[in-house]
Parts: sequence; structure tokens; C-alpha cells
Amino acid sequence: MEQARAGEYDAFVAARWSVLFHLARLLTGGDRHRAEDLLQESLVKLWFVWPKVADEAPEAYVRKVLARSAARSARRRWWGERPVEELPETAAAGDLSATVAERSRLEAALARLTPRQRAAVVLRYYQDLPDRQVAEALGCPVGTARSHAARGVARLRRLLADVIEPVG
Amino acid sequence: MDHFERRLAGLLRQDPEPEPFEPRHREALHAGVRARRRARAARRAAGCVLAGAGLGLVLVLWPHGPTDDRPAAPPRPATSPAPTPTPTTTPAPGVSVSEPPSRSPDFTPSAPSVTPTDTDDSTPPEDTWSTSFPPTATK
Repeated sequence: MEQARAGEYDAFVAARWSVLFHLARLLTGGDRHRAEDLLQESLVKLWFVWPKVADEAPEAYVRKVLARSAARSARRRWWGERPVEELPETAAAGDLSATVAERSRLEAALARLTPRQRAAVVLRYYQDLPDRQVAEALGCPVGTARSHAARGVARLRRLLADVIEPVG
Repeated sequence: MDHFERRLAGLLRQDPEPEPFEPRHREALHAGVRARRRARAARRAAGCVLAGAGLGLVLVLWPHGPTDDRPAAPPRPATSPAPTPTPTTTPAPGVSVSEPPSRSPDFTPSAPSVTPTDTDDSTPPEDTWSTSFPPTATK
């Protein structure tokens, strides 16, 4: 019984690791080590509820734990986020590493949001969740979740103005 | 969703370099599960110890002196020093009123009072309870 449970759990983790790690990385503003820690913690929690959620939506459970932990993480002492005055250099057009540089800029910009704004933006625009589900994942009212996302996007608009040019 | 939001969503969903699930990840995960299981067991054990200690403390502090083990006395009837007339009907002729007014068994008057048996007077005592009539309504 335990063996079967462990097998199913391992298969799920191995299959979804990459996607979940990407989500964790966005939620932590590109901090690789922190993202790995966050994902490990969430998957350990998943193990203890695996019999309950295995047949339903284990990924939704992990996503919720990840988002809540990331949104709360600012209160923890070991959170190593350091705001900087200047964002990393912009990649030149046509550069082969443009995509990587663009990604770095995005992560640096995300890191400058508050944890709750970042979580709301990532869930809304990366996971494409409706406001109600974003609120549920963050454990806050729908209006609050919408406000976090709107403020986060407004800030990103200023920070990424030179990366994402306005139309017209 | 405006142009910026669409572009933002596209940037967020850009294919990142794949992150394989390595053996070190698996080991770290299993170690985390074991550590959490141990922490849960320790918390449960600590809870049991605390609960046992609390129960023992309550039993030790529970009041159980010899005076407190006696059953509570039954409620005693209220007594008054003055004899209370019993609301009886007028005694029938030939029946002497020889009984004192009802009192509680442990009632001991401090001064002897005149009892109805001291005299041969068989007239009933002035008892407003037994001789009074209900008030008649006046027109």
C-alpha cells in the first residue's frame, strides 16, 4: 500500500517537476535556490495529503501551497530579496541570448514586486487563472487578489517599459 | 487584456530550459518527508505527555478532604418562633382541640406557652384562618 503510494507520488513529481519548478522560480522572482526550497517544501506537504488529493488535483494543491508560501515569504528572515536601483542590461535586438536576457529582466522586475503582487501576477498571467481562483490560492478576498494583480501589472509596466514597447 | 498584458503573459510562458528531476531532488524530498514525519511524531508525543501531566495535576489538586466526602445534609424545613396557625376548618362539636399547632420536631420553645390542653375550655381558639369568611362583594 505504502509502496504503491510512493510509486504514484514519485511518478507525479518526476513528471511535473519542471513545470512546477518554473512556477516556483517565477513566484520567487527568479531565485533558483529559493525556488527549489519552496518546491521541496510544497511537495513534502503533498506527500502527507497524497491519498486525499491523488485522484483529484494534486497539481492544483501544490500550486496553492507554492503561492501561499511565496506570498508569506517576505515575513521570513532568510528571504534574500534585495531591491536594486538598476535592472540588468537589456539585450540587443537580434542577439542570440536575447531570450535569456529578456527572461532575466522579467525575473528581476518580478523580484521588485511585493510577494503578494508577484504571486497574483504569476497566477493570473502565467497560470491563466480567473480572479476567483487566484483569490482562493492566495487565501484572500477576490477584490484583494484583483487589486494585487492590478498594482503588480502597473509596476511591471513601468519597469519593463523598454522591453515591452507600447503599440502604436 | 491589453498589449502589455498579452506580452507579459507570453514572456512568463516562454519555454524555460527544462529542469530534470534528478536523484538528488528525490533524495532531498524523501529526507524532507522523513524529517516531517519525525517532527509530527515528536509533536504528537509531546502533546500526549502534556495531556497526561495536565490530567495528573488536576487529580493531585482535586479537593478530597474528609469533610468534603460527607454527603450533603437534606434541606431542613424553615422554622419560625411563633406558632403558625393551621388553616383548618372549624372542629366539629365534641372534638377537643388538644394538639398544639404543627411544629417541626426539633423546635424547642424557650418559654412555656399556654397549651390548649391546660383549660377545659372547648371553644375553638380565635382563629382568623378558620372563622373568616370570604369578603362579600359590595354593590
